[in-house]
Amino acid sequence: MSKLGSKLRLKDKGLSDMFVMHKENTIIRMFRVSKRYGKMEALSDLTLDIKDGEFVFVTGPSGAGKSTMIKLLYMGEIASEGAIIIDGVYMDRITRKQIPRLRRKLGIIFQDFKLIPTKTVFQNVALVLEIVGVKPKEIQRRTMEALERVGIDDRAGELTPVLSGGEKQRVAVARAIVGEPRIILADEPTGSLDADSASHIFQLLQDAHADGATVVVATHDQQMINTGYGRVVRLAKGRLNSEDGEMQYAGQGMDV
Amino acid sequence: MSMLAAKRALRDIRSNIFLNMVSVLTIALSVFIVSAFMLFFINATDFLDGWRKGVRIIVYMTDGASEAERLSLTEAIQKTGAAQEVVFISRDEAFKDLKKKIGDQSSLLDGLDKNPLPDSLEITLKDVYRGPEDIEALAARIAGLPQVDDVEYAQKWLQRFAGVYNLFKITGLVLASIFFIATLLIIANTIRIIMFSRREEIEIIRIVGADENFIRYPLFIEAILQGFLGGFLGIVALFLAFVLTVPNLSIEGAFSFFEMRFIPVKFSLAIVLCSMTIGWIGCYFSIRKFLKL
Repeated sequence: MSKLGSKLRLKDKGLSDMFVMHKENTIIRMFRVSKRYGKMEALSDLTLDIKDGEFVFVTGPSGAGKSTMIKLLYMGEIASEGAIIIDGVYMDRITRKQIPRLRRKLGIIFQDFKLIPTKTVFQNVALVLEIVGVKPKEIQRRTMEALERVGIDDRAGELTPVLSGGEKQRVAVARAIVGEPRIILADEPTGSLDADSASHIFQLLQDAHADGATVVVATHDQQMINTGYGRVVRLAKGRLNSEDGEMQYAGQGMDV
Repeated sequence: MSMLAAKRALRDIRSNIFLNMVSVLTIALSVFIVSAFMLFFINATDFLDGWRKGVRIIVYMTDGASEAERLSLTEAIQKTGAAQEVVFISRDEAFKDLKKKIGDQSSLLDGLDKNPLPDSLEITLKDVYRGPEDIEALAARIAGLPQVDDVEYAQKWLQRFAGVYNLFKITGLVLASIFFIATLLIIANTIRIIMFSRREEIEIIRIVGADENFIRYPLFIEAILQGFLGGFLGIVALFLAFVLTVPNLSIEGAFSFFEMRFIPVKFSLAIVLCSMTIGWIGCYFSIRKFLKL
């Protein structure tokens, strides 16, 4: 949808002025966000605030809209309706050229790792720093540091296809944290891992959170959710589940 | 940033070495063919220029023309304004000259009852009248003058050569255009294949925050490098072919004034530069099509 269309729709609802208000500790704000693929509505009227430094699980059954929500946050998809603000940046006002800049504020982890198979572990992680023009010496130091943190520095020179699933995900975590982003988005990060590896990855996410990052994890890994480590946001059929009170919780973040 | 892009371009070339080699060789072949035509034109133009400098019209006079008639004809020719010099060659002089030219076999002429050669006038033309059309028009005009029996110049040869030259010129231009487009498409397709084979990688790079320049620059460098290497190899191959072939071509007799030469350095550089520009353009179109969000 066009920017203008989006604005008009918000005006219709008499709520456009709410975006003028900015709550200091809100780093992600989704307001009445919908995403449609043709006639299919993947997300419907989703309103959610995530505070700076928060750890949030977004959970729900398959098709609930978890991955769509993550995609909207890193602008892998554009919302059909509503507004998203990330770290003060209004996504519906962002130009195509500004998208990379926004993504540099994020660390993103995927279920299928999304590592470049023709590059080594080191190169995959260093890429994030190369993109922002960090000097080679600094890249070397910071990349090795990130690899050490996830415990895979001994395999820095290897190509990623030879690694196990758990190791690949550790590389993906290293890539997500090496740029020291304020927000980490993880889409089913443990979905294709065994229990040990999953637990290791969860620990790494907690470490990143402890270091100050806001972490949003889309998952249906109950073991992880049941640890009670973070806030749980439940989605069902593209909507926030009102039965478990999450709607109310999310609504509390809005200055309506 | 540019150093990093160059490094990444070299790394990409290494990982797609076969595709890049095929691309470079195809460009080299195109450049070779187009440059071969250029080589022909340069030498054909030199040859025509050289030949024109020595071009003469021979006017054979009717038998028994008087001295006064000869002078009047000479005057009429000079009036055309095309003649730089008009030299009278008497039939006796011409006969002596002929005898000298045929050397050992001059005894064959001894059996003749009388000198069969006519008096003639040899006309050297001014520079501006040395074009094939000018010579032809002048010859026709002179042929119409009184006391002129026949006019001779290298008419047929000149026409044939000019015809071949023009044919090659058109063919060369058509081929150059075809190869220009072919080279453009080759580079564009190579880049497109490279981008297609790396679409996942490009997608990942984008997700982690790369802007379009980060993706584009190495590809531009790659395409320009392909253009450079293809152009350079094409010219070098043509030079080698030239060096190996030309000493075996003997140009003797009337054409000994002519010496073949290779495409001048500045033209060779222009060809390589052109090839690099084509690389850039090809890449630009591929990327523009591919990098739409």
